[in-house]
Amino acid sequence: MTANTMNAPAAARLSGLVKTFPGFQLGPLDLTLEPGTVLALVGPNGAGKTTTLNCMAGLIIPDEGGTEVYGAPVHPTRTEYRRDVGYVGEESGFFQRWTVKRNLDYLARLIPSWSRDRATRLADRIALPLTTPVIKLSRGNRTKLAIVAALAHGPRLLLLDEPTAGLDPVVRAEVLDVLWEITEDGEHAVLYSTHVLSDINRLADELVFLRDGQIVLRTGRDELSERWRRVSFRLAENDVELPGVVEHRWVRTEHQIITRDGEATIKRLSELGAEAVEVSRMSVDEIAVQILKEGHHVARTEN
Amino acid sequence: MWHALRTELVYSRPWLLGGLGIATFVSTLLIVLTVFVNDSDGVPGFVVGMFPVIAGMVVAFIAQGYRSEERRARLLLAGPMTPRQLAALMVLLPAFLVGLGALYGGLLVAVAVLIAGAGALEGATVPSLGVFSVQFWAYAQMGPLAQEASAAHRQKRGTAAIIGWAVFVGVILLLVASQFLFGSTYGSVVLVAVIATTMVLAAVLYAGRTDFTR
Repeated sequence: MTANTMNAPAAARLSGLVKTFPGFQLGPLDLTLEPGTVLALVGPNGAGKTTTLNCMAGLIIPDEGGTEVYGAPVHPTRTEYRRDVGYVGEESGFFQRWTVKRNLDYLARLIPSWSRDRATRLADRIALPLTTPVIKLSRGNRTKLAIVAALAHGPRLLLLDEPTAGLDPVVRAEVLDVLWEITEDGEHAVLYSTHVLSDINRLADELVFLRDGQIVLRTGRDELSERWRRVSFRLAENDVELPGVVEHRWVRTEHQIITRDGEATIKRLSELGAEAVEVSRMSVDEIAVQILKEGHHVARTEN
Repeated sequence: MWHALRTELVYSRPWLLGGLGIATFVSTLLIVLTVFVNDSDGVPGFVVGMFPVIAGMVVAFIAQGYRSEERRARLLLAGPMTPRQLAALMVLLPAFLVGLGALYGGLLVAVAVLIAGAGALEGATVPSLGVFSVQFWAYAQMGPLAQEASAAHRQKRGTAAIIGWAVFVGVILLLVASQFLFGSTYGSVVLVAVIATTMVLAAVLYAGRTDFTR
């Protein structure tokens, strides 16, 4: 590690972040996002993903703790951090009765670091209909507009709040293509919240699983794929202790398990003399479902 | 902030033009029916100018509704604006819209006098129009105050919510009383002071928000 990278501030840092609503508490959350990393915030509806992103964008003031973006404290009264943040959410505040172009022109005058050239290039690249009023845009095109608006001022941190939610498969693929193109240059740190698990494979380097306002697990995408396995085998004994098993079903001697430590499980099965052992990889989607089902138990054992 | 205010006024322009158009039609119809058809002495001058002021107040409510519905704060907080500037924008927008309505009302009275003659309008037109404009302005400023008292309640800022709603109810009662008590320029001055207080309180409540997502 060079001295330069050692001194470089994190793209985003959440320190003891707490936000309480009636019947729900987010946090305390501690999370660091390094520059150039794409981190997926995965969780079911109501897990606290949007609140986390809103705190990071300075739209919600947390009850405790705080957020920094590239070393600058995030707070609605501060403006320094905004230069580095682009936010794509379901609601972006556009003038609905005005055309896309008029909205972009307005933002160009509002935001000092806005680049008209970058906005035009992005809009061309994703075929954004400039002359259509925002209110008449399809959901996919609204997301595209939000992406252009979030990126045209050249932010280094991109916050994406479920950008593919509610999109049909074709438009979703199109939006993911756009996001993939944007993130592949490695210049942007991206925090991407989603409950559409199939998005994860395409974009994320790291995954943070959030449930009931708490982080249950943070892990690398590849690390998950390497360790988690679905295993079927034949063994007369049913009451067996196997390492890393999170789900175990059996009918007589036929067993099916899901394990978060494939190597150790298979080694143990070999010691037990299991027969017809068949091992298959699991998709990140399947693993994510298991983690969110198991929650804290998996997180504890994984760590 | 001024750029954002001008943009909101431009965004409200279709409603404002529509409202003033309807007000012009109603005022004209009133003069025609009263003076030319019924051959009466004239209509009260402030009535002719009152409809554009009402139009300005209605458009103020519409504009506030759209700003809230379209989550404008999210857009503005992406730029260099601070919550205080957003608060100022929120309370100044109704004032400008009612003000534009009042100006147009005055213009309409002048045109009516030019066309139909001074005898077509009864009473002290300008002071009466001023008094009514201040009252409608006060009603228009109740929108932001109610919105912020409600937001404070939602965000569990109990004291702020209680103060907001208490002032809201107090000002409404004062406005009702003013229909009977302050039919004068002096009463209007008192009302202007009350409106200024209301605007400051709404702005303070906004700047104290903990949630700017809507």
